[in-house]
Amino acid sequence: MTATVLVIVHGLVAVALLGAITHQTLATWAPARAKTGLFFARFRAVPPVSFANAVIVLYLVAALLGAIVYLDFRVDVRPQLERDHHFAALGLFDLKEHFISIGLGLLPAYWVAWHRPLAQDLGGWRAALTAIFAFIVWWSFLMGHVLNNILGFGS
Amino acid sequence: MALRRFAFAFGTAFALCYAIAVGGQFALFTVFPSLGLILPGTVQSRDVADPALSFLAPAMYWYGWTATATLGALAAGVVSLAIPEVWTRWIWPGWLWAIPVAAMAACVYFTLPWFRL
Repeated sequence: MTATVLVIVHGLVAVALLGAITHQTLATWAPARAKTGLFFARFRAVPPVSFANAVIVLYLVAALLGAIVYLDFRVDVRPQLERDHHFAALGLFDLKEHFISIGLGLLPAYWVAWHRPLAQDLGGWRAALTAIFAFIVWWSFLMGHVLNNILGFGS
Repeated sequence: MALRRFAFAFGTAFALCYAIAVGGQFALFTVFPSLGLILPGTVQSRDVADPALSFLAPAMYWYGWTATATLGALAAGVVSLAIPEVWTRWIWPGWLWAIPVAAMAACVYFTLPWFRL
């Protein structure tokens, strides 16, 4: 029961993180020049720096919750997935854990790159690190979702 | 500037150390969640339980790999602070993103056996 609650909270934090990093990535790589009525242009017109601290906090919280739930996953869930031969899904999930760790290591550099006032010479690094984080967060979200869906809620 | 140097060295070294830890099975410790055990180093399930019953004691290395990478990255960060700034100009700044991307690619390679089962 506790694990189920934690997984749900983990998922909700991940949704918030997904929104923040997607806003920031699009606003960094394809900034809108002016606010228009179009949804996509408004989505990109946000100041990307305002998401940096939220991304860091949400990433840490999501990783911490994931690390706690991972213990239950290894004991209760993974053996069932192995028994049912979902090896490809387990491989994709393993990649999630690897990518998240690499992201954890990059968090200090990400924080420095987005620290106000923004350093002009770090523009390329900001863009690159944000793209890496966007990839990690999207991958982790989708793979976690896929794995969760295999067994279903409460199984 | 020192904070920037430390953070960038830490991130780059962390990715590199993590890939090495996964590839070389260098976990700082191994967690056995069903037994409530944490043992130093990389320990296989068969080493703590009868081989026929090792499935009852699944081993988790992810925490240990992350700890190994953290130690390596901390060391690299501290070393980076001691390096004269003149030397750092010779380092290609792109390593900050290139090494993590390469480390992620290496992790994909290490994970390939799952897809051959």
